[in-house]
Parts: sequence; C-alpha cells; structure tokens
Amino acid sequence: MSAQKKKAFQIEAFKHRVVVDPKYAEKTWKILEHAIHEIYNHNASGLSFEELYRNAYNMVLHKFGEKLYSGLVTTMTSHLKEISSSIEAAQGGLFLDELNRKWAEHNKAMQMIRDILMYMDRTFIPNTHKTPVHELGLNLWRDVVIHSSAIQTRLQAILLENVRRERSGEVIDRGLMRSITKMLMDLGPSVYQDDFEKHFLEVSADFYRLESQDFIESCDCGEYLKKAERRLNEEIERVSHYLDAKSEVKITNVVEKEMIENHMHRLVQMENSGLVNMIVDEKNQDLGRMYCLFRRVPNGLVLVRDVMTSYIRDTGKQLVTDPERLKDPVDFVQHLLDLKDKYDKIITSAFSNDKTFQNALNSSFEYFMNLNSRSPEFISLFVDDKLRKGLRGVTEEDVELVLDKVMMLFRYLQEKDVFEKYYKQHLAKRLLSGKTVSEDAERSLIVKLKTECGYQFTSKLEGMFTDMKTSQDTMQGFNARHGTDIADGPMLSVQVLTTGSWPTQPITTCNLPAEIRGICEKFRNYYLGTHTGRRLSWQTNMGTADLKATFGKGQKHELNVSTYQMCVLMLFNNADRLSYNEIEQATEIPASDLKRCLQSLACVKGKNVLRKEPMSKDIADTDTFLFNDKFTSKFFKVKIGTVAAQRESEPENQETRQRVEEDRKPQIEAAIVRIMKARRVLDHNNIVAEVTKQLQSRFLPNPVVIKKRIESLIEREFLERDKSDRKLYRYLA
Amino acid sequence: MPPRASKRKSAPPNSSSVTSSDGRSVSNKAKTKGMDKIDRLFNTYANSSLGMIDPEGIEALCSDLGVDYTDVRILMLAWKLKAEKQGYFTQDEWQTGLKALGVDSLTKLKKALPELEKEVEEPSNYEDFYIYAFQYCLTEEKQKSVDIESICELLNLVLGVQFRPQVDSLVEYLKVQNDYKVINADQWINFLRFCKEQISFPDLENYDATQAWPLILDNFVEWMREKQS
Repeated sequence: MSAQKKKAFQIEAFKHRVVVDPKYAEKTWKILEHAIHEIYNHNASGLSFEELYRNAYNMVLHKFGEKLYSGLVTTMTSHLKEISSSIEAAQGGLFLDELNRKWAEHNKAMQMIRDILMYMDRTFIPNTHKTPVHELGLNLWRDVVIHSSAIQTRLQAILLENVRRERSGEVIDRGLMRSITKMLMDLGPSVYQDDFEKHFLEVSADFYRLESQDFIESCDCGEYLKKAERRLNEEIERVSHYLDAKSEVKITNVVEKEMIENHMHRLVQMENSGLVNMIVDEKNQDLGRMYCLFRRVPNGLVLVRDVMTSYIRDTGKQLVTDPERLKDPVDFVQHLLDLKDKYDKIITSAFSNDKTFQNALNSSFEYFMNLNSRSPEFISLFVDDKLRKGLRGVTEEDVELVLDKVMMLFRYLQEKDVFEKYYKQHLAKRLLSGKTVSEDAERSLIVKLKTECGYQFTSKLEGMFTDMKTSQDTMQGFNARHGTDIADGPMLSVQVLTTGSWPTQPITTCNLPAEIRGICEKFRNYYLGTHTGRRLSWQTNMGTADLKATFGKGQKHELNVSTYQMCVLMLFNNADRLSYNEIEQATEIPASDLKRCLQSLACVKGKNVLRKEPMSKDIADTDTFLFNDKFTSKFFKVKIGTVAAQRESEPENQETRQRVEEDRKPQIEAAIVRIMKARRVLDHNNIVAEVTKQLQSRFLPNPVVIKKRIESLIEREFLERDKSDRKLYRYLA
Repeated sequence: MPPRASKRKSAPPNSSSVTSSDGRSVSNKAKTKGMDKIDRLFNTYANSSLGMIDPEGIEALCSDLGVDYTDVRILMLAWKLKAEKQGYFTQDEWQTGLKALGVDSLTKLKKALPELEKEVEEPSNYEDFYIYAFQYCLTEEKQKSVDIESICELLNLVLGVQFRPQVDSLVEYLKVQNDYKVINADQWINFLRFCKEQISFPDLENYDATQAWPLILDNFVEWMREKQS
C-alpha cells in the first residue's frame, strides 16, 4: 500500500458496453400491442397496469418513443376500422345505438391506454410536438369512423330525420341524440358545426318555410302567432335537451326569420284578424304574443307601432271631424278619454309598457286632437259639466283620477290659450251661479293647471276665487251694517268682480226696477265708502234673481230668472199687457238680448210665464206680451234663466277666435322683442324658431303672423333690417 | 380769367360782404355773376309771394326744358336739389342744386339732364335716389306710408325702365290685393331688393319665403305662382 496516493471515492461507468437487447424494443412493443388489443376486446381485466406502464416507460426511456407512438397509431387505426365496419353494418334504428355504444367503449379504452402511456404523454409527446394520446384518440375516431364515407352521410341523415320526426309529433330517443351530439362536440366544435349544425339549420329553414306558408294560408293572425310561438318554444326546448347551447340562438333566428320576418306584413295587415282588428276587439293576449314575437325580428316592432299609429290617427281624425259626434261636447270628450284608456290598457298589458309605443300614442292624440279647432272649448265644457254635476258624490280619489285624465288631454292641446279663455268663461258662470259641486275639486284643477303651465296661466283664475271670497266678506259687512233697515225689502247678494280677472263683458244699459234700485244704491254707497278710488258698474247681463209670483188661480211659484228677465217681469206688476216697444223703452235692454230674454219667457213650453200675441216662434217688434194667468208647473221653483255654459254658436265661436288672435299679437311681439334684445342681430328663420319655442306652452304661433309682427315692429322702429345684409334683423335700442 | 372751377366751389350765398384784394374780387365778381344768373333763373319760375318755386313754376320749368311734368328726370332733379317738399323748390335748394350740377342757365340745365341720369344710375347713388323717391311722397307731417295708387305710379316711374316685367306684375298685384292700403318705407326698399337680387322671374323658382322678405312680397309671389299654374 502506497500512502502517497489518496484518491476520492469515484464511481466509474461500466467499462464494457451495455448492450440493450435489440429485440428489446420489439418485444416490449408487442406486449403493449397485445394489451391494446385486449383492451379493445374487452379483456382488460387480465392485464397488469403496473407492468404495462413500466414497459411503456422503458420504451420511452430507451429512446423508442417513436416506435411506441407510431405503433399506437397503427394499432388504434386498425381497431377503429373494424369498429367502423361493425357500425356500418348496423341496420336502421340500430345504427345510432351501435355508434353510441362503440363510442363509449372507445372512450373507456382511450382512458386506459392513456393511463398506460402516461409517461410518453408527458415527456416524449410534448418534446416532439406530437398530438397527445387523448386527442389522438379523438382525431382517429373522427377521421376513421365519423368521416368514413359510409358513416358520415348516414349519420347526418339519421340525425336530421330524427329531428324531423320529432317536429311532426313523434317521440324519439332524446338521450341517444344527446350522446351523439355530445360526441360531435367532443370531437371539436367544427365537427359539430360542419357535420351536423350547418345542415340542421338549412333543413330547419326549409321546413319552417314550408310550414309557415301552409299556416299563413290556413290560419288567421292570432292562430298563426300561437303556432309560431309554439314552434319557437319547441326549438328552444329541443336545444336544451339534446343540442349544443350555442345552437339555440341560431335555430331561433331561423324560426324567427321564416315564420315571422318573412310574413310580418301579411300578418299585421291580415283582414279581419290583423293588428287593427286585435286592437278594436281588445285581444290583449294576442297582442301581447305579437309584441313578444315581433320584438325578435329587425323592424318588427317598428311595423307594429307604425300600423297602430296610423290606425289611431285615422280613427281619431274621423272622430274629431264627425259632425254627429261634435254635437255633444261632453260626450265627445268622454269618448276621447275612453279611447285613451283603451289604448293605455293595451300598451300596459300587451306591449309591456314600451315607451316608444307610449310616445307614438301621445303624438297621435296630439295630432288629431288639434285637427279640430274646437277641442279646447270642448274640454273646458267637459270639465264644466263634471264640476257642475258629474262629480257629485264621487270620492276624492276618483275626482283626482278624472281630473288627471283631463289634464292628460289638456297637454295634447296646442292652443292652450284658447282653452284658458273658455275655461275662464265657464268658471265665471259656475262661480256666479253658485253651481259648483266641489270647491276642492275646482281648486285642485287650478293647481294642476298651474303646475303644467306656470303661474301666469292661473293667476287670473285664482283672482276669480278670491273675488268670490271677498264678496262674501263684503256682504257680511253690508248686512251687519244695514241689516235692520233693509229687512223688509228684497234680499240682495252682490259679487264684486275685479275687472281683468273675469272675462270681459260689454257694459250694457238696463233700467233696474224701482223695487231694487234702493238697496242697490245702498250697497254701492257702502262699498265705495270702504273702498275709495274704485269704480263700480252693475253687470246686468250676468246676474240672477228669484221672484215670488202669484198666478190667476192663486198658484204660487218661485221663478229663478236672469236680471234681464226680472226687469221685464217686474213691469207686469203695473200693467197686464205691454208691447215690445214699451218693454224696450222701459228696460233699455239692448234689442238682441231683449229678444232672447222675451223668447225664454214667452215661447218655451213649461216656462211661459208670459203670453205673446201673435203666438209665433220668433219675437217681432210688433208683438204684445201679456202676463200668463194660466201658467202652471209641477214644480214650485221654476228655472227660466239660462246660466249653464253651452257650446258656442258658430258666430260666437268666430268672435272668440278673433279675440284670441288679437291677444296673441302682443304676446308674439313681446317674445320677438325679448329675443332680439338678447341676441341683437338674428336672421328670420332663427327668430321664428325661437319665438315658437318660447310660446309653445301656450299656443303654436303662425309664421305668417310672426312675420307681420316683425314688420310692425320695424315700422315702429323697434327693429330694423341690417343695412349690409338685408336677411338679418337688428335690435334698435 | 378765373377758371371755371372756382364757380363750383361752394360760394357764399351773398358774395357782397366779401372784401378782398383785387385778384379775389375778380373771382368773387364772377361768382356773384354766376349766383345772379342762378337767382334770376330762380325768380323766373318762383312764386314771388311764397319766395319759392311752386307746382305751377315747376310745370313751367318742365315745359321749358321740354320734359314732361311726370318725367322721372324731374324727380332726379329734385333729388339732386335735395328738395324737401314735393312740388316746391326753395331758393337754397335751387342754388345748391344748380351749383352742384354746374349749370346757371336753362340751356345748360337741359344739357345736364342726361348726365344727371347717368349719375343717378350709378350703383352708389341709385339706392339713395330710390329711397328719396319714396320720402318725397310723404307730404304730411308724420306721414310714414304712401297710398297704393301713388306707389304704383312711382314704381313705374322709378323702376319701370330697368325692371319692366317685375314692375308690371307687381303693380297689377298691388291693385288687386286687399291686405295693404298703404306701403311703408320698409316695404318700398324691399321692392328694389326684390328686383335687384335677380329673383328668377317670372317663375320665381329661387324665392324663399322663410327669408326676411316682407309679407307683402310673400303674398305677391304666391299670387304669381297661382296665376301661372
């Protein structure tokens, strides 16, 4: 032993070559090949997993991965070819069954094989960028079995045939279908799509095209929609049961296109059952169905909406131009409200409150309501009727409901200032005759109008209420002061109206009877005593009187008459017969009013407290009037005065129109001046647009009138035309 | 000899008060002489009690000039004179005007008329003349409009030559319509604008009522269009 060299402990490689048994690879492969055969022949139980795994492992380790892999491919391919043949051999209905079974087996086999070859899967395959085992199994199945010429077409045909059968009502094996489609999906999305889905959609399209054609010839609109809905739901259910979820939107598109989109015009316009008929008959369910279905196709709802809109506009236009309908304004407005209710209900229940439909309804109403220039007057008459008697005994909530509905119609009016004029007139009559059902309801409506139109709109109306209240207080004061010295005479009740708040009335002449002149003077003095600097004038054309009358046989009646009528009747205390001229002289009432007054006293059955000679219908200057001794009436109180608001006659309407036009002129001018003051220089179109915008809450100004006002302002040197560009107007400070 | 030009300078109304050296006095004498001639011409036509030329005098002047009383050139003369009152020429107006024209005798005045026409027709002057023509018709104090008859005549006179078809139609319309009994200055000036802006006539294709044309012209165009359909 030499103590000099102390080497580290080393392990050296074998000096001899380790020769791997050349037949080693082949032998090992054969073992594995055999195993694969066994697995495919359902004999896997006899195999040792551990041993096989090790063999595969060793092959890869010793660099025989390539052999292993290619062997695998070859073996599987040959097995799959066998399987393919057996599937092809299956007859009729068993084909799918066989395919499905073999597929399941194949998957199980693949799993086992993969487990055995796990090492290769994890090392050799990634390194060589080859297809992993599992995927390889799928691809081979696809290429060898599914895409084999015999199987491919047959598979497709059978699948589609099954769908067709199911559509005709037959029951099919859905589980089997599910497995097959799942198989296709597992093989890759393009397999599912190219081998099945594409054809499925095509065939479905043809199917539904035919079916829809058949239905549309034989069904009415409602039935057709039911069928379409049913088919749509069927397809959705079909997808959930045995197709890929992504197919749902594609198949529904097919159904929608073929059954709905292609026929939508025909459906909507269908005679006796189309959209219009559904609306008329309030078939809300059918309408709802139509809405849901048409919503699914492009422009479906647009079509429905357009047809509905033109229907509403046409019927609305008919309604407002029908002279029969227009005879009774209250009835007319009620009809409008009923229509609105009906359409609202349809939109809420059938059209799921779709805002675009709401808007279409609103614009339609606005369109046709403004076709009739009397709409503002009629709405005011409707309100008048309600506040006079219609709302008697109605609960507060219901009152609010009615008023809100009226406000809705009011909003559609373009000429709100016309409404204001009539409303004022009618309100005045109601207040002065004391004929309003509920002051709360009156007030409530004023508040609504104020919210809608602003303070300006309602300030005068509120002034009228104030006057009524103040008059009450004044009367209290008057009676307190003079109570004793007027106790014997006629009872006086005065309403003092502030000019400007109340509708303008012409001052007319009228000689009050002596019996009341005294107390009237007393009141006048009392009032002027407490309110210096004011001027009072009796509005003899607006007052009322209650007279106690005794007739020939002693019948007593109380007559409710107008002031004019009182003046005439009182004359008969001193004469039994009077000529027209005598009456005219004594009362000094203007001729047209007097004639109307006499007519109501002498020519109306049941109210003829006077007799006329001759008994003609009209009042002539040569007539004579006598007190009607023989007058009878079942009622103690006989109402002769005409105080209720009525639909204006044509000439009256013209007059009001004119007044409205006159009132508009200063408003337009004020708007022009306001705008020009702010903008200094502006061209014509812009002025017109701005003025219209500013005034639209009251009325729609006529561009011609605007131009006239501008010219008037130029003449009065508020504006001038710009010297360099005559298209512009310039504000003159 | 003092150059003619000196006469055109605004001369003092009465040159008698000017004292100067010889040279000056010569030109002044010439000016005075010129003034005298103008004044003498004035006096030929003036109404002595009024101190100005009245309608009769103008009529006489017209016949001497060989021009009709209603000829537009008299109106142009009035414009040049800046005459304020229709049918009358004051001495001031006469003097200033004739000096501006550079004339001091009837013959010279007659010869100056064509030049005056040309001057009026210059674009810078025409509008001024046009407006003047209207104002010349406002005879009453605070009068702002002119009656339709007179307007029609005036249109013929002033615009007739240049815009014959437009004037004819417009005059026909004015006589037929009822909306306006008088025409104000704003409407008047817009008649000119209408003719000048070459609104294609008589089809009126490019007339735009939404532009700032006065209502009377909108109505006129509508009337024309109805007539043609």
